[in-house]
Amino acid sequence: MFVVTKFYLAPMITGIFNFLNQHTTVTEAEFQFLMTKTAIHNFNKKDKITEIAEVENRIFYIGKGLVRKFFYRDDEEVITQFVKEGSLISSTASFFSRKPSQYIIEAIEPTTAFSINYDELESIYALGNKWEKIGRIITTHFLLQQEILLMDNIRLTVKERFKKFMNENPDLVQRVPQKQLASYLNIKQETFSRMKHLMYDKSLKTA
Amino acid sequence: MIILKAMSIDLNNISDSSLQYISSYLQRFMPFTIEDVKGLIQYCEIRKFDKRIEIVKEGEIDNYLNMVLKGLVRKFVKVKGKETILQLATEGHVIHSEISYLTRTPSQVILETLEPTTMVSINHKKMEEALASFPKGERLGRLIMSGMFVKKDERRYWLLSKSTRQRFIDYLDRNPHMLQRVPQKYLASYLNITSETFSRFKHLIRETTSNEIVNFPDK
Repeated sequence: MFVVTKFYLAPMITGIFNFLNQHTTVTEAEFQFLMTKTAIHNFNKKDKITEIAEVENRIFYIGKGLVRKFFYRDDEEVITQFVKEGSLISSTASFFSRKPSQYIIEAIEPTTAFSINYDELESIYALGNKWEKIGRIITTHFLLQQEILLMDNIRLTVKERFKKFMNENPDLVQRVPQKQLASYLNIKQETFSRMKHLMYDKSLKTA
Repeated sequence: MIILKAMSIDLNNISDSSLQYISSYLQRFMPFTIEDVKGLIQYCEIRKFDKRIEIVKEGEIDNYLNMVLKGLVRKFVKVKGKETILQLATEGHVIHSEISYLTRTPSQVILETLEPTTMVSINHKKMEEALASFPKGERLGRLIMSGMFVKKDERRYWLLSKSTRQRFIDYLDRNPHMLQRVPQKYLASYLNITSETFSRFKHLIRETTSNEIVNFPDK
């Protein structure tokens, strides 16, 4: 039985339970069992959670904090994802394929995360179809997330992508350095600044 | 939609080589015998299309996950009249409108055959049945999903990190026959290279007699 020894972890654990049940169905008993297979991590700001060229062995649920995923194009960082409390992060392709990671995952804020490692997960899948099903649904969630992002990048203009991101993540404007937000949206920092001002001016006028 | 032929699969009527083909494809994911294929294939159907048929239209809910047995299908999205090609699926490739199929929402992408095409397809309802009652269904489903994720991630990384020149070389190296099978403007779009640049690269390759490409320009 998973025993919560630290009081502050309790809401995060409830968060994991709710996250899983948003996508699939996990009973209390299954969840208790699953949690005995997880590890807890505390990362400091700028800690590397996954390094380039290492095989990703873990999927993380972010209980508290914020991380980013990026790769290097020559010397330039290309940010592909921000993940805050309540979501999963992993160098997913590496985790699935067992090939070296092309991405780095790094903490932007002090972060508390729960992880499950590859071998543990395989041993859970071996327990039967209900676990395979949970795995399939979470994997589908990863695939959909990736596909929706790809479609947005193709279908939306820079301005539309900016607006959508800001509407979905108003808090990240405060939490993420502007330079990194611009990299994620694939726009120049100056363009980002300009759009931000335009958007806030407008919302003030319509408020 | 014009389907030339859509048929449920008669196990007495499917060739051993087709069974072998499907089995060896699924072996990539997990141990999968011919007997397993015979079990799974009862949920599937064989669909045949002429060339230049839109098998999934924009705004339509995609009901099928397909594997190409023979032929060629392109997946693309139209934005303000401009087409962007996302996938060129040939023999052994899986293709469908992922978001539409999985979330039962109207498709943003279009699937069109470029050659007469035969596919083995499983519709969404049958997929649910297969997942529930075919013993290896859930595991296979999960592994196909993660395999698709990896392919997509590799392609995205490749598009974002490699130069146009490198993309051109990589692709034709791995898929030399595609130059004959696919109109050049589609290949260019798939590689996210302008048609002009694509032509220029192609001519440079022709002029090079050795297999090694020397003095290849970077942009």
